Amino acid sequence: MKLDLNELKQKLKEIIVRDLKLIDITPEEIDDNAPLFGEGLGLDSLDAVELVVIIQKNFGVQIIDMEEGRKAFESIETLAKFILDRQKEDQNS
Amino acid sequence: MAKNKEKKKVKHKDIKTKHKKTIKGRLHALGHWIFYVTMKFFGHQGAYLLLWPVVGSYVIFSRRIHRLTQIYLKKRFPNKKCYWFDTFKLVHSFSQVLVDRAWLGLNPNAHFKGKLEGLQQLEKLLGQGKGLIILTAHVGIWQVAFSNLPDLNVPVNVLMHYEEENAAKHYFDLRKQKCPFHIIRNDGFMGGLVEASIALSRGEIVTIMADRYVHGPYAKVKFLGYETRVPIGAYMLAAITSTPVIVLLTAKTGKINYLVKIWDVFQPKYKDKRNKEQEMQKYAQKFINALEEYLKIYPYQWYNFYDFWNQ
Repeated sequence: MKLDLNELKQKLKEIIVRDLKLIDITPEEIDDNAPLFGEGLGLDSLDAVELVVIIQKNFGVQIIDMEEGRKAFESIETLAKFILDRQKEDQNS
Repeated sequence: MAKNKEKKKVKHKDIKTKHKKTIKGRLHALGHWIFYVTMKFFGHQGAYLLLWPVVGSYVIFSRRIHRLTQIYLKKRFPNKKCYWFDTFKLVHSFSQVLVDRAWLGLNPNAHFKGKLEGLQQLEKLLGQGKGLIILTAHVGIWQVAFSNLPDLNVPVNVLMHYEEENAAKHYFDLRKQKCPFHIIRNDGFMGGLVEASIALSRGEIVTIMADRYVHGPYAKVKFLGYETRVPIGAYMLAAITSTPVIVLLTAKTGKINYLVKIWDVFQPKYKDKRNKEQEMQKYAQKFINALEEYLKIYPYQWYNFYDFWNQ
């Protein structure tokens, strides 16, 4: 089933809270534009590695280049847009 | 007034330190120049001969060398009473590695003879297509050995810090060769771990120095009978990406010979992420056990000249 941007953002938040085992925050409390790492959601480098695997497992999207990964990992918003773009690219090819 | 005086004092101290640094820097440069000239006229062997008086003087006159080497030597040889000869052997062995590196850098046609124990095992693990994490340490002749790994048909990435990156680049610039591995800087985005995981997902090799702890998650391990801290990022990376890990250590076995050997193979896993430090401890201990086995055979090829047990 294909998700639109808002549905994808919601799903991402749920997956992040569940799979990264975040205990002090609910999906509803995550701001779309808050930084995922550092002061925002407070994820660390190992969470980032898990996120690479989670995205591949749940959305079939592989991050193959460091630069695209860096941009995608800025926030939930950028991550969701990145996944949608890659899924579109895959459909077209 | 008092603030001004303090400022002047600090400034004066800065100038003094700078001056000292300059003299120290000049002496270092002079030392390097003497070695390069010796190598040019008397070859590799000539530089080796020059090491005897140089290392001898260091051992006789430098208290600092004894302070730094005895931290390790007292744990490796607990029953000895005097460590002068061991200090000489340790510093001499390290100096030989520096000469070897400079010699290879200055002579693009010079080659060392390497032997890799466990090539089939390495190829089998790579054949799984999951990528491979190679853990190594600051022992033996690792720079030379890793730049001469046999062609494994898989790109090799090395996660290293800035200074080591510069040293590697300098080495290959001197040899006018293209660096055979891609360097991932551990002070880059997310400590280089995201880039490393992307490389692993492409089935590539990622090499990590697993002995020195700087920051981040760690585990306490027993090393030569004493507790120390080692980083666990590499084991977490392996567990998250389901990548096998090998402990690959190198040793200088002759004037121009070296050995690269697989000392252990394992697959880190964890059940509960919240207990990652505890769960990764056993893998960190496995790495340290392999290192201990290595040091039983090559006790003078340990090149961590600082208090490793207080890192």
